[in-house]
Amino acid sequence: MSNRVKSVVVVGADAPAWMAAAGIYASVGGTGVHVRIIELPTLLRPVDVYSALPALAGFHGRLGIPEDLLFKACKALPVAGQRLSNWSGATSAFMLGYDQLPPVGGGDLSFTQCWIKGRLKGLRTPFENFSLGPAIARAGRIPVPAEGAELQAAFGYNLDAGAYSALLKHLVTGGGVESKAAAVADVAIDGDRIAAITLSDGERIEADLFVDASGPQSVLIGRMPGAQFESWRESLPCDRMIVASAKALQPYPAFSQISAFRQGWVGLFPLQDRTAVVAAYDSRETSDEEVLKSLPILANVPLGGDVVVSDLNQGIRKRTWVGNCVAVGEAAFSLEPLDAAQLHTAHSCISHLMTLFPATTEIGREAEVYDEIIRRSAVNLRDFQMAHFKLNRRFDEPLWDRCRDSAAPATLQRKLDVFSARGRVPLYDDETFQEHGWESLFIGHDLIPQSYDPRVDSIPEQELIAQVHDRQQEVRALAEAMPSVEQLIAGTAAAPETISSAHI
Amino acid sequence: MSEPLDIVIVGGGTAGWMAAAALVSLLPPDGWRVRLIESEEIGIVGVGEATFPEIRYFNEAIGIDEAEMLRATNGAFKLGIQFVDWGFKGSRYIHPFGVHGPAHMEHLFHHQWLRAVQSGWKSDIGDYSFAAQAARHCRFQFPETGTPTVNSAYTYAYHFDASLYGAFLRGIAEQRGAVRMQGKVTEIIQHSETGGIQSLRLESGEVISGNFFLDCSGFRSLLLGETLGVGWEDWSKWLVCDRAIAVPSERDELSPYTRSTAMEAGWRWRIPLQHRTGNGYVFSSSFISEDKAADSLIRSLETKPLAEPRVLKFQSGRRVASWANNCVALGLAGGFLEPLESTSIYLVQVAIMQLVPLLPGKRIDPRLRDEFNRLMDLQYERIRDFLILHYKLTRRDDAEIWRYCAAMDVPDSLSRKIELFRHNGIIEKYKDGLFTPTSWLSVFVGQGLIPENYSPVADAIPQEKLISQLDAFRTEIRDRVDEMLPHDRFIDRYCAAQVVR
Repeated sequence: MSNRVKSVVVVGADAPAWMAAAGIYASVGGTGVHVRIIELPTLLRPVDVYSALPALAGFHGRLGIPEDLLFKACKALPVAGQRLSNWSGATSAFMLGYDQLPPVGGGDLSFTQCWIKGRLKGLRTPFENFSLGPAIARAGRIPVPAEGAELQAAFGYNLDAGAYSALLKHLVTGGGVESKAAAVADVAIDGDRIAAITLSDGERIEADLFVDASGPQSVLIGRMPGAQFESWRESLPCDRMIVASAKALQPYPAFSQISAFRQGWVGLFPLQDRTAVVAAYDSRETSDEEVLKSLPILANVPLGGDVVVSDLNQGIRKRTWVGNCVAVGEAAFSLEPLDAAQLHTAHSCISHLMTLFPATTEIGREAEVYDEIIRRSAVNLRDFQMAHFKLNRRFDEPLWDRCRDSAAPATLQRKLDVFSARGRVPLYDDETFQEHGWESLFIGHDLIPQSYDPRVDSIPEQELIAQVHDRQQEVRALAEAMPSVEQLIAGTAAAPETISSAHI
Repeated sequence: MSEPLDIVIVGGGTAGWMAAAALVSLLPPDGWRVRLIESEEIGIVGVGEATFPEIRYFNEAIGIDEAEMLRATNGAFKLGIQFVDWGFKGSRYIHPFGVHGPAHMEHLFHHQWLRAVQSGWKSDIGDYSFAAQAARHCRFQFPETGTPTVNSAYTYAYHFDASLYGAFLRGIAEQRGAVRMQGKVTEIIQHSETGGIQSLRLESGEVISGNFFLDCSGFRSLLLGETLGVGWEDWSKWLVCDRAIAVPSERDELSPYTRSTAMEAGWRWRIPLQHRTGNGYVFSSSFISEDKAADSLIRSLETKPLAEPRVLKFQSGRRVASWANNCVALGLAGGFLEPLESTSIYLVQVAIMQLVPLLPGKRIDPRLRDEFNRLMDLQYERIRDFLILHYKLTRRDDAEIWRYCAAMDVPDSLSRKIELFRHNGIIEKYKDGLFTPTSWLSVFVGQGLIPENYSPVADAIPQEKLISQLDAFRTEIRDRVDEMLPHDRFIDRYCAAQVVR
């Protein structure tokens, strides 16, 4: 095996690039593969925030990054859920948590089916009162493993984007990854492979594998044959974004808050030192100035410090691995900064790259497989976000009427159809959110199934009522026993400020 | 509650009684009425004597006591399938019901194993599978539960007499309220507006009407195929076998695995039960005559035959939709995949368990129908590819059938899987579908496809350390296997059939 991959060059900036370098180095750095990172100028502004799903903890675990460090060094807060308000006109706000339930196979009857029957028979208690994650989030608490309990939930994070990127950079450069800050001046392409890149200082770099982690700029993949950008504007209408800051909320909320308004949505992402305020909107309906002016009212907090405005460009590259060039994170596809999808985009691409990591410089069909997996996971996530828009109940507002009336892609339409008919969610390969996540999303947006699994009728009425009652009690009791955000953070106070090198 | 919905099952083979037993066990008796029509004139096929581990979930869901079921069906345990002479003459491997390597290593183990092998180290991948080792040594024990250990990372299935299993389920179904009606269906009356099935007329003149029909009529596909006109998709260019000859013989060693031996025009099964051994030859009539096949089956028997050989005719393929209008086909009426990986009963089971949550009310909801059909398509296609793999990867050139199979074009979904594994040892995963990466691994490697490269991630530890880890793991499996009971003694203690029939 003389032609093994010996050199990998990551090109990019900020957390996704460092995550890629860290992930690759941790897996193959010890095997003689030379990993180098070309650090492009940062795209981050001091106001930026990363919201992350619970799965990021698994990535940190593999790299040996202790959770305490995130709270110490990244102004981070744990996030037990995402609260959505004003999406459905009169219906009340709802909370999406991160419940960890075993998957429901054909042989099992989920509690959701019992709830649907209750609801169709007049039960008024909202679905989220029976879900542990939302109950914990509403109580301002954070889920930790509950011993012996069947119900479990997890938490994600809000991270100061600059601080988190700096932490990863420190770990990566302290390990064996060679880094250089530069811009890419030229990319020499030979057929469908990158022969070399030339940096702004004239250095020419060849590598067996190039990883494009440059975000929406897509400095490498954007030049590869067949990798044009495919816009998802039709599905996700917001094309402009404002990021600002407000004072930290006290006590710390345990959730992010996403409110719809006439021309888009505004999100509050609590951090230790501030609250990141993000607004996304449709420029066909409003102007930057107008949103800026009304932002304090929309966000319902006084703003302070910098405010930055930028484009949002949701979509996917038609190919995400061409020849020896692999795109990860937003270089591959980008979504709305909703549902904590941002870092997940990078995390999931990097995990798949490691599973498919090429053994030799002659790359086979693993590129095609990567492409399909990334497209499927991107489409599944896009559909999840799109459901917020599609299922809105804000009438007589042009943006929202359009979103509601436009056709959903077949992948989402099937989910909506089967859920409306029977309360089941068709899950595809490479889903980020599992059954309970989709159920909570649909029910939260007031999509109530018309019928339920006939097996529910095998449970005697009294027993069913008791089951529903017990579930609510159990959720409440478990939620009350969880630590508050402050308690969780305080528990990490003794941790060291930094670590010299993890497993990287 | 409104008046109950009527489900009518046509056909009383394994599929029919599995459906009846599941429906009366899972559905509320005041909401659904389940009737099954069977004719004693029409024989049942009942070849499926070997199962896949998923059957345990089926039995559990409808509340069947395992030991009682095994006693009633002369059943025994199964830890995998042994393939003899498949890759080349003289080769043998086990496709085990359990992982290779430590459970927590998932996809990395086989790359490490490949690395060791490429360095010239001699090693059989089956040595790293607990289920394969236990099978080879004819031992059995239930998997450990709780904290993961080497002897927890496997599962098991059964060998049983499928017609006794059908009878056992019939007992359960009737006891729980299913009504059995005897008679031959002579006429099928369709609804004038919907075109769906309204009622069935029996030979006696009796008319049975229903809201929903399950076609378990076997290859004939009386309702779905003949009446509703759902077409057949032929897969016989990839799965060329179209006949089976079955013959029972006297009991011999009660090995906890099915054996499949490649022959000059197909393959031969051996399924050990408590009271006898099931044998059969699955072959292609284009490559051998029935007489010759019967002859070579009889000559291959290890014990005395107990009956005259029976011939079955079939074609691999499936109905283009399993659910049309108000009718779902189960078992052979919906499709047939040859029994190479014991998937027949699994396909019936998965159809029932996916149908129950989606059962419609009086009106057929196309959204439910389409979802059911989508799920069944995935099951059929993924099993199909896995079966074709066994034929495609043969390196035998001593008979025409093997030369044909080695040269045939296969579906692109499969050729990609083969190329990925050959090049880099990568195994694609999927969510819905029976066979996991560990199954693919055992067949790829078992048939002699050793990847050209392995993942660089496997290079992370020094070579000597890797080899000593592999050795230690293999030894640990052997030690645990040695502590297990011999399979026949386990059966005697746990579920010996009272009267050996």
